[in-house]
Amino acid sequence: MSKTLAQKNNRYLLTWLPIVLLLGSVLFFVMLDHHSSHMQEKQLSLKQQNIWKAFLQNPESLPGKIDGEYRITKNDEQSLDTASGYAHLTKQYSLYGNNYQLTTYIPTKEYSHLVIKVFATELFVFILLLIAIVFLNKKSSLKLWQPFYKTLESTRVYDVVNEPFIQLNNETGITEFNQLNNELNSLTDKVNLAYTNQKQFVENASHEIQTPLAIIRSKLDLLINEPGLKETTAGLLADITEANDRLSQMNKSLLILAKIDNNQFPEKTDIDVSALIGKLLATYKDHYDNFPKLSEYIETGVHLIANPALIEILFSNLIKNAVIHNISGGFINLQLTASQLIIENSGLPLTMDPSLLFERFNKGNADSKTTGLGLSLVKQICRLYYMDLEYTFANQMHTIKVNFKQA
Amino acid sequence: MKLLVIEDEASLRRSIVDYFTQEDFLCEQAGTFQEGIQKADNFQYDCIILDINLPGGSGLKLLDYLRKDKKPEGIIIISARDAVEERITGLDLGADDYLTKPFHLSELYARVKALIRRKYTAGSNIMEFEKLQLDLSLKILTYNSLPISLTKNEYEVLLFLITNKNRVVSRQAIAEHIYGEQADNLASFDFVYSHVKNLKRKLKEKGAGDLLQAVYGLGYKIVI
Repeated sequence: MSKTLAQKNNRYLLTWLPIVLLLGSVLFFVMLDHHSSHMQEKQLSLKQQNIWKAFLQNPESLPGKIDGEYRITKNDEQSLDTASGYAHLTKQYSLYGNNYQLTTYIPTKEYSHLVIKVFATELFVFILLLIAIVFLNKKSSLKLWQPFYKTLESTRVYDVVNEPFIQLNNETGITEFNQLNNELNSLTDKVNLAYTNQKQFVENASHEIQTPLAIIRSKLDLLINEPGLKETTAGLLADITEANDRLSQMNKSLLILAKIDNNQFPEKTDIDVSALIGKLLATYKDHYDNFPKLSEYIETGVHLIANPALIEILFSNLIKNAVIHNISGGFINLQLTASQLIIENSGLPLTMDPSLLFERFNKGNADSKTTGLGLSLVKQICRLYYMDLEYTFANQMHTIKVNFKQA
Repeated sequence: MKLLVIEDEASLRRSIVDYFTQEDFLCEQAGTFQEGIQKADNFQYDCIILDINLPGGSGLKLLDYLRKDKKPEGIIIISARDAVEERITGLDLGADDYLTKPFHLSELYARVKALIRRKYTAGSNIMEFEKLQLDLSLKILTYNSLPISLTKNEYEVLLFLITNKNRVVSRQAIAEHIYGEQADNLASFDFVYSHVKNLKRKLKEKGAGDLLQAVYGLGYKIVI
């Protein structure tokens, strides 16, 4: 499962930072304890030296013991009292033939209190540090990654057809992001150039093909009127005429596709879709003797703002598609609402991958009467106007939905 | 009838000239912008067929020149470019019609004839061939003074065939004439077949059975 950068970062920090701080605290405590015992030893031995010095100067007047401070005993008087709460140091001394035993004391309570207080303070500081680091990290990564999120948003919007121009800032103040944006800029430039070249090639090729097609067509028109035409020759000419016309149709469709890609349908008007679809249905019923059984629900007053020529191609191709790829005795259900058009028609299942249905030259059957470009025109037009196009097949019925999502 | 064909593609130009000459048109041809201007300046034509992409200058410029010069000829633009703006510009500059390449010669011929009819025959709009009479303004067909009722499509087919009378008109040409230049409409040939079948039946009922002939698998022809 993927998480955002900030979440990941936080998670790392919150996992590792407490461990590091805990280890640090343990180390700190051990060191603190070690230093405090060392200091106690030092203090004890210093006290020994001082007291022994004082004893040497005046062995008689110095009291034999002060509780909590020291105790001097002759060697033979073996009595060892260890007061609790005190650390002690015992050493042997000899003076004028007498052996003395000097024990010095210091209270340990104060030391352990100090150690605990220092340690508690340290813990508090560490926790404060943890909170501050997480907070600062959050703030700073938000700020740091700002250019990255901007880049992300721009590239999301990028579309080679509709939004080819993204200019990413290459002075973000962060070298890596500058590099990233520079690379992305040159990448999109290359993609755009390749795309432009390709669509211009298609458009130019289609235009250049028009003239020879026109010549062939005109020669065929003359040829079929030659006197003394034999039936076999006529048959050949009929086939050539048909193939040539198919080529012309294909070329025209390709040209329209190229023009859509090249944004050559900029003019838009308000189109009464309800009226248009009514008109198209009437025309097709008139055209096809075998028009399938039609049940229609057309909401009145559905409008779109788009190029009228393209919208007509869109809807007429969809309706024609439902007629051509129907079965005999089949049906068509057409439903138009303000938000979508649904066309359902009976038919045989697709023999190809449905995801390729709207691609160029993918024909459901080897029917020579179609060019294989009708639905790719539909797709391109929908793409141009940001309409959603959906295809499903269930219960021997093809369904195509067009969702109008006009900005 | 005098016709000037201004088209740089020699082969296509020859086809057009051939087709129209067979229909008793007097044809002149020009292959460049300058040649076109020269011929249009020096002679009077009934109709000019004008290509847009010409060596030496745009056909639209030539059109503008002719219209500024108050030339009365009917002008039909033929162009490989099917841009709506170009079509509109052409018609705004005073062209009478606009046809996109590739076109059928029968279609071009029908357009020229319709244009000449619109421009030069005031009043009567009736075509008469022996017993057959076609009233273009009322869209009524009579044979032997008996009216034959036709659907809109049947009428269009008949008018197209009569205009190109005594010639074989391909099914494709008829389909395009009726259904326009809609993309991907190859299935429309089947409709042509059914329209012609009905038309033939109706003519036969009134005793004009052999007027409309099918020519092998190629197309149809009206023999008058």
